[in-house]
Amino acid sequence: MEEKILTKLFGLKDSHTIDVYLKHDGYKTTRKVIMEMKPGEVLEEVKAANLRGRGGAGFPAGVKWGFVPQNIDKPKYLCVNADEGEPGTFKDRYIMNHDPHLLLEGIIIASYAVGIHKAYIYIRGEYENVALRMEKAIEEAAARRYLGKNILGKGFDLDIYVHRGAGAYICGEETALLESLEGKRGNPRMKPPFPASIGLFGCPTVINNVETLSNVPFIIQNGAGKFTRNGLLKDGGTRLFGVSGMVEKPGIYELPIGTSLKDIIFKYAGGMKKGKKFKAVIPGGMSAPVLTADEIDINMDFDSLVEAKSMLGSAGVIVIDEETSMLDVLKTIAKFYSHESCGQCTPCRIGNAWIRKIVERIAEGKGKPGDIDNIHRLAKNMLQKTLCPLGDAAAMPILAITEKFRKELESYIGN
Amino acid sequence: MKITLDGKQIEVEEGQTVLDAARENDIYIPSLCDNPHLSPFSGCRLCLVEIKGQRGYAPSCSTIAREGMEVKSDSPKLRKIRIRILELILSEHPSACLICQEKENCDEYKSTIRKVGETTGCVLCPNNGRCDLQKVADALGVDSIRFPAIYRDIEVNKKDPFFDRNYNLCILCGRCVRVCHEIRGTSTITFVNRGSDAVIGTALDKTLQDAGCQFCGACVDVCPTGALTERSLKYEKIADETKETICPLCSMGCRLDVGKYEGRILSSQPSEDGKVNQGQACVKGRFLLKNTVYSGQRIKRPMIRRKKDLEPVSWDEALDFVAEKLKGFPGDKVGFIQSSQVSCEDMFVFEQFVRDVLKSDQIAAESENSVYGILKELADESGVILPMNHKIKEISQADTIFLSGADIVSSHPIVWLAVLKAVKTGAGLIIAAPFEFSLSRYATLDLRIKPGSEAMLLGYLAKQVLGREDLSEKETVKGLEDLKKSVEDLRIEDVLKLTGIPNEETLTHAEKLFRPDRSVVLLLGAGFAGKEKIKNTLAAGWNLARLTRGRLFLLGSGVNERGQFEIRKIYDKKIDLSEFIRKAAEGKIEALYMTGPITLAVKFDPAFLVVQDSYWSDMAKKAHAVFPASTFAEDECSFVNTEGRVQRSGSIIPHYEESKPDWWIISRLAQKMGARSFSFKKSSDIFNRIEKEIPAFTGITNVSFTKEEDLFIKEEQGDKIGFLPAVYDRTVSSGEKRYPFLLVQDGGYDSYRNLDLTKENKGFAKIRETGIILLNPEDAVVLELKNGESVKINSESGESHAVVKISEAVPAGIVKTHFLRRLSPDSIFVSMLAVLPVNIKRGE
Ligand SMILES: Cc1cc2nc3c(=O)[nH]c(=O)nc-3n(C[C@H](O)[C@H](O)[C@H](O)COP(=O)(O)O)c2cc1C
Ligand code: SF4
Ligand code: SF4
Ligand code: SF4
Ligand code: SF4
Ligand code: FES
Repeated sequence: MEEKILTKLFGLKDSHTIDVYLKHDGYKTTRKVIMEMKPGEVLEEVKAANLRGRGGAGFPAGVKWGFVPQNIDKPKYLCVNADEGEPGTFKDRYIMNHDPHLLLEGIIIASYAVGIHKAYIYIRGEYENVALRMEKAIEEAAARRYLGKNILGKGFDLDIYVHRGAGAYICGEETALLESLEGKRGNPRMKPPFPASIGLFGCPTVINNVETLSNVPFIIQNGAGKFTRNGLLKDGGTRLFGVSGMVEKPGIYELPIGTSLKDIIFKYAGGMKKGKKFKAVIPGGMSAPVLTADEIDINMDFDSLVEAKSMLGSAGVIVIDEETSMLDVLKTIAKFYSHESCGQCTPCRIGNAWIRKIVERIAEGKGKPGDIDNIHRLAKNMLQKTLCPLGDAAAMPILAITEKFRKELESYIGN
Repeated sequence: MKITLDGKQIEVEEGQTVLDAARENDIYIPSLCDNPHLSPFSGCRLCLVEIKGQRGYAPSCSTIAREGMEVKSDSPKLRKIRIRILELILSEHPSACLICQEKENCDEYKSTIRKVGETTGCVLCPNNGRCDLQKVADALGVDSIRFPAIYRDIEVNKKDPFFDRNYNLCILCGRCVRVCHEIRGTSTITFVNRGSDAVIGTALDKTLQDAGCQFCGACVDVCPTGALTERSLKYEKIADETKETICPLCSMGCRLDVGKYEGRILSSQPSEDGKVNQGQACVKGRFLLKNTVYSGQRIKRPMIRRKKDLEPVSWDEALDFVAEKLKGFPGDKVGFIQSSQVSCEDMFVFEQFVRDVLKSDQIAAESENSVYGILKELADESGVILPMNHKIKEISQADTIFLSGADIVSSHPIVWLAVLKAVKTGAGLIIAAPFEFSLSRYATLDLRIKPGSEAMLLGYLAKQVLGREDLSEKETVKGLEDLKKSVEDLRIEDVLKLTGIPNEETLTHAEKLFRPDRSVVLLLGAGFAGKEKIKNTLAAGWNLARLTRGRLFLLGSGVNERGQFEIRKIYDKKIDLSEFIRKAAEGKIEALYMTGPITLAVKFDPAFLVVQDSYWSDMAKKAHAVFPASTFAEDECSFVNTEGRVQRSGSIIPHYEESKPDWWIISRLAQKMGARSFSFKKSSDIFNRIEKEIPAFTGITNVSFTKEEDLFIKEEQGDKIGFLPAVYDRTVSSGEKRYPFLLVQDGGYDSYRNLDLTKENKGFAKIRETGIILLNPEDAVVLELKNGESVKINSESGESHAVVKISEAVPAGIVKTHFLRRLSPDSIFVSMLAVLPVNIKRGE
């Protein structure tokens, strides 16, 4: 079991170069796809693998690709979401740093399957080195004719461009990403229409997360069956769990989907730092509602977490110990979202600003009775009432903290 | 299609939003960011509704109704959500005015106490209660808010003309941003910053003007709060009366709603249901209308010069004086200049008076040969009929638009909006002009052609179209053989060389836009080519339109230039302005009667001069008699716009001082001179005559105006369809040794009778950049000139001054200025049609 799909080359010297990649069977799948397979076959395989999106929402990639209309005289685009703005999430950076060609291969195969000739990698602005590394990798791949015109002499064309973001979390939301890529302000678009029909420059567009696409070569090389067997449950494959916070060994762990959260924290990440007591954990990036000690006996897969009223999201696991005040956690969350709201809709723009103000006043010792209710009400008024999911992303963790740690929060408010 | 809204079955149209459907059925759903003319934004979230079978809440403003949808627009839960959302909005909005218990008592006085400092409570808002936020607060019954209002303390921006921007009152509904981008196409303003720092602003915090604003005021009109307010209204009261009028400031004839207080005009706004403008206008109609009426330049009473000075006298005395004098001149020694900005009624009376009473046919139109006249003359010579009517709406439905001869963003703003609409739905736009137009960025092909090569380009395109096989059925059409012959030897090399178009691909691209499956519209104005050339350009444009089964729309100028053309059509003997001026220079006109300004480049002192106008001018000061004419606002009158649409404008204020309508003055004068038939009592009496005597107006009666119909000029019908002869001469306009630069002007028409609006309003002067010439950077290097330096401009016909602005918008060898019909003797007369060779030197 515990086969490595994504981190196979991590740790090898010069793993980011095409030579090392090729030495380890790199681009073998690309050859197979371009030389032997029909686009439809690739698509069917990915569908069969039930590859669910690793960017947050967990939508099956194969199904998404299938939505792209085929008989249309417009170009189609692939946008790779490498914005990685969710606090507690740092997995995509690892892939792009250690194995950029794995991602490129994923992009080539996905593009081939959907009939795409232009792909953009939208990279978080702060990831300057990562962007340079990706550009270098693209050059290397083009030099060996895995990219560009007439790939491997088989008539398929694909160009990949790197685009750097400018530091806004909202630009990781897929439609805001499209706006930003078009050179506009990164405000989310209304859906419908969905990007699969009207996306970048008004053309059909697939948007996938870096990790999602990096799974594709494995699926095609080894078959959907092998991929799904890597998961412990019905979700296929592994995940890169990014464990941070108060654990002994923070870092990226590639583990089968469905691995127990308890194991991730206590077995793989070495348990609590300095033996402190566990208090809570955010299981899937900052937007995921916290789980308390009696909730961590849970399988880390999409559906189990939904059942526990949290989410797997980006699989960024943030561990909180007993010495950390939940008010601080709340303050961090509130600050983040009030800063990162795009400002288009009222409940998110003004609501988050008020939550932040109230949390800050409690932290300054100026809290008033009823303040926790105020926060709760403001968050509730955001939930499912905003234009894009950022409103929910802010409301959910805030609601969870105010509900699960109400006593502690009240204790910061004098009488 | 049917949906259920609050338990009621309602009929909805395909593609309609739930909110629009609710509005149509008088079901109120609170909304702030939505505006029926704009794309949905769904930001305020007040319009959230519940939809059966759908999780959460959906914004009704962007939810398209689906067959059988069950929508709940009101419930205790929704009410609670809306109140909470409104609370949030109000927490950022100084809002005492909205929830104050004293509101009702205060409303009566509010507008009178607003000179109090702008930071305290309810007196903060300058918007005079025109506030959607108040309406929503009332509807939801919000009377307290849980949060203290935070004053964002954003500096009020007053850097630009006409309106202030106080974003402390802004609720970020984005309506201004959308109207500016979607309808006006300038994208001057946008959202800047994010989160709670988000505000509306310009790129890099430039002034609106530097960010490309047209000052159309559309953003002010859609703003639901007091964030954007017309500066001149800030301390005014709320209008107690609204009247409709037709804007006289260009050839579009927009319908405007004029707000009045105790008889005075406060403001003018585009009418939502204006047939031409549909809720839009431009800077002139929106912000300058009242300048025309209340200008300090208005002539107040009749005056005559018996001895040395002009002295005020009664109408009777003045009319007697002029009547006596005019009787002393034989008909062929009297000349009459007819303004093209007066009503059809005035024009009709002018013509009758000059021809029947003065017994002269020397009546010239103030504007030089109009595009209509030029083309008509050609058509008559060739025995071809020319339909000229069109509807602006047809432009917005075109697939290909070819524009030349007018920077329509400022000269024909409403036509521009239609062009933009077409472009936004995928039409190809070709602009052929010697310099960059203000919104050339929307062009599919922005061809910077050399001045005077327009006809050549059009002719070449016609040749390509002729070369296609699909034309056989046209073989019989009159003039086709001649057309073929005339374009036969237009070789691509010559066309490239003469037009300056860089390569063959560009031309091929242009050709493709005239493929037979596309509906083509050509928009041609009279500017930039040079007067000798315009005739051929128009003919070539007509031919290309015919060949492509497209339409040629002429862009006339002056509110009633088209009316003037239609009325004058019936007279065989006409004199054009240049001939008139020549005669004057030769001393053949001894008595001159002016109702509109012309500039005489030559010295001319008639023995007797009458000026009948609304405003003082140098000519008026020199005149022997001055008659104060009322403006458009003071009498009922009819205008014909460039579409050929006949519109009636009502009287909105009483006559200013002792002024009288032009038709009244002339009629009384005619009677004093012994004529009988000038017994008109009101302007509609004259319109009856026009309807009877001028074929173009047949069937348009006084009654028709009250019926809200589309009224158009009657055009000749028949089968005399054909092509016009055009000459494709191989020369382009260029400078010469003494005058190496070509001066072009961007075709605005910024005066109303003798009133130069740029002189009347400082803000307007600023945005029109009067007194500035644009100079290409290369030329600036050669002339060693820097930005902001003063230069002297010399030409055959005189000298003028300007300040240099270096700009890539003009090519080397061409300088551009805004059109200005300066009346002071020291300035060059630049006619609408001229491309003037000039010399430029540093100097004051
Ligand atoms: C506010 C917000 C931020 C997001 N940021 C990211 C991000 O940084 N990276 C990412 O892959 N997905 C992000 N997403 C999710 C994307 O919208 C989208 O679902 C995802 O890129 C789809 O790819 P996948 O199906 O491969 O997961 C974000 C979503 C929201 C609402
Ligand atoms: S929820 Fe609204 S304000 Fe917040 S980021 Fe999304 S669109 Fe912008
Ligand atoms: S005045 Fe007109 S052009 Fe200027 S910002 Fe407002 S809408 Fe845009
Ligand atoms: S300025 Fe007015 S129209 Fe523009 S966003 Fe603010 S409130 Fe809305
Ligand atoms: S477009 Fe013409 S008619 Fe309309 S408001 Fe402007 S000047 Fe007046
Ligand atoms: S009107 Fe629908 S969200 Fe504002």
